[in-house]
Amino acid sequence: MIQVNDLHKSFGTVNALRGVSFVAPDGRITGLLGPNGAGKTTTLRILYTLLKPDSGTASIDRIDIIDHKLQVQKRIGALPDNQGLYPRLTARENIRYFGQLHGLRGKELEENIDRLVSLLEMKDIETRRTEGFSSGQRIKVAIARALVHNPPNILLDEPTNGLDVMSTRAMRTFIRRLRDEGKCVLFSSHVMQEVAALCDHIVILHQGLVVASGTPEELLRSTGKTNLEDAFVAAIGSEEGLLRA
Amino acid sequence: MSASIQRILVVFRKEVLDNLRDRRSLISAAMSTLIGPAILLLLIFILGRTVFNDVRESTIDLPFIGAENAPVLVQYLEQNGIAIVEAPENPEEAVRNGDVDIVISVPESYSEDFSAGRPATVRVIMDSSRQSALANVERVRNLLENFNGQIAALRLMARGINPVVVAPLAIERVDVATPQSQALIFLNMMPYFIVMVVFMGGMYVIIDTTAGERERSSLEPLLINPVARWELVIGKLAASWPFAIFTLFLNLMAFAIAFNAFPLEDYIGFQLSIDVAALGWIFLIALPMIFLASALQMIIATFTRSFKEAQTYVGFLPLIPALPGIGLAFLPIKSSLWAMLIPTFGQQLLINQLMRGENVILANAFISSFVTTALAIILIFAAIKLYERERVLFGTK
Repeated sequence: MIQVNDLHKSFGTVNALRGVSFVAPDGRITGLLGPNGAGKTTTLRILYTLLKPDSGTASIDRIDIIDHKLQVQKRIGALPDNQGLYPRLTARENIRYFGQLHGLRGKELEENIDRLVSLLEMKDIETRRTEGFSSGQRIKVAIARALVHNPPNILLDEPTNGLDVMSTRAMRTFIRRLRDEGKCVLFSSHVMQEVAALCDHIVILHQGLVVASGTPEELLRSTGKTNLEDAFVAAIGSEEGLLRA
Repeated sequence: MSASIQRILVVFRKEVLDNLRDRRSLISAAMSTLIGPAILLLLIFILGRTVFNDVRESTIDLPFIGAENAPVLVQYLEQNGIAIVEAPENPEEAVRNGDVDIVISVPESYSEDFSAGRPATVRVIMDSSRQSALANVERVRNLLENFNGQIAALRLMARGINPVVVAPLAIERVDVATPQSQALIFLNMMPYFIVMVVFMGGMYVIIDTTAGERERSSLEPLLINPVARWELVIGKLAASWPFAIFTLFLNLMAFAIAFNAFPLEDYIGFQLSIDVAALGWIFLIALPMIFLASALQMIIATFTRSFKEAQTYVGFLPLIPALPGIGLAFLPIKSSLWAMLIPTFGQQLLINQLMRGENVILANAFISSFVTTALAIILIFAAIKLYERERVLFGTK
């Protein structure tokens, strides 16, 4: 479970977050929806401990992310905005490296990798060096290495960016599967349809603030609209940022 | 703690494997080991011929103007290995251009003055700024002075005076310069080549694991793992050390082969040699510089945003320790305590001593290693602090 309480963060004169609060429960897919620059990546970076908030608190499974950084890192699997692989290592070596950094060794590690390799259908590429992989292949490796330690909380920053239709569908299936395993899934997107298709709970961010949140039905009810797209536009007060989706 | 060591080892092993597969790193490391010995051999082959040719034994050509005016002098010179040749048309110009090393000019009045016992003019046209001509000039001048002395002695004796009375001093010159010590100018460059190798051996590994990691966008996912930043920094630094150490080892081997196997005697008149024990000491003395170089490179590479940018800045680093080293090639500085306090400079002095076969004061080697290691530790600490900042994700703008 992820709890976020009144996060503030600024970079120089830019106020990236101006009081973001939400809860992402276990067994649910929570979507962070917002136009580019709304603060999605900054929120996620704070949650996976790369940035410190100026004020406010956040916790993962009730463990404070600032005071217990390493504990939190053990309990999350994150697919950040940057998903670079090591081109001179094979797909399996890339995944194994992160598993080892999590302290996994030997049989347990190899079994975890085997499970992810078959789940993500990447048997054909696992022993190839990742140099020259397609974006679909790259994201599979990036996800596998993020989840190799079987974390209960999963944070995905725009996981379907740049994927073709087939890869996007496979990704959605995979994310639902994680939810069904009882994990807490938090993912960000600026694509409305993406969030609508997948999320049990939606948090709409705009200019560093949570402007609306709830289940898709609750959002429709609170904005008085009949479809999510209109609800989204109503929530952020303009169509800005949507057109690029 | 043992968990920390395990994580450091994971990072270390991954970076070593990754970089062993990188042809760029390996080629650069291999090239840097060979550059030093290759340049040294080349210099010895080219310069050895011109500077160290033994001038005393060969006959030199001496352009002489007015040879018919001074037959006695000409005869004396010819008896002493000088071949009198036609003088160029404009002797000053010819000497200035370096066409000839020296020209002797005797005016028509010489003959008359000489017979009458008056000082007869002999003009020596030479260029004191031309190093390569000095040996020949010196030889001709010595011959002229000897001739002068002999004639003076004869004239005194003809007047019944013992020539000894005009020689109040019996000057004896003891020149301790041997061909060896002259050739050591070449050897003085070797310490710098070794320092250069120390800086280049692990350079690509450091850049690849820092600026390269960020450029590949793999830094952000890496930092999300439950690994302390200091563990990452140590693992990455340590990954560069085997590359640097192996490069240094190869370099010393190459020097040993260059000096002990090539027939340098044909070129500089004697065989240079370095014994294995000295090489072993040089290796040990150079080790702390590897830690220093890697920490310095990591700090610089961490500030940069791309592989190329890092390469540019880090590439300049070996030039800094070169400055005192270049000085060393021309003005030999004695090993003293203050010099040992300057990292890389102290080592260059010590390596120089070892090559010359001089005794190294153990305390000097210890102080030099200690100061360098201490500075390396401070820099490693600074690199860790850099990695603990949020900005490490983005690079410095």
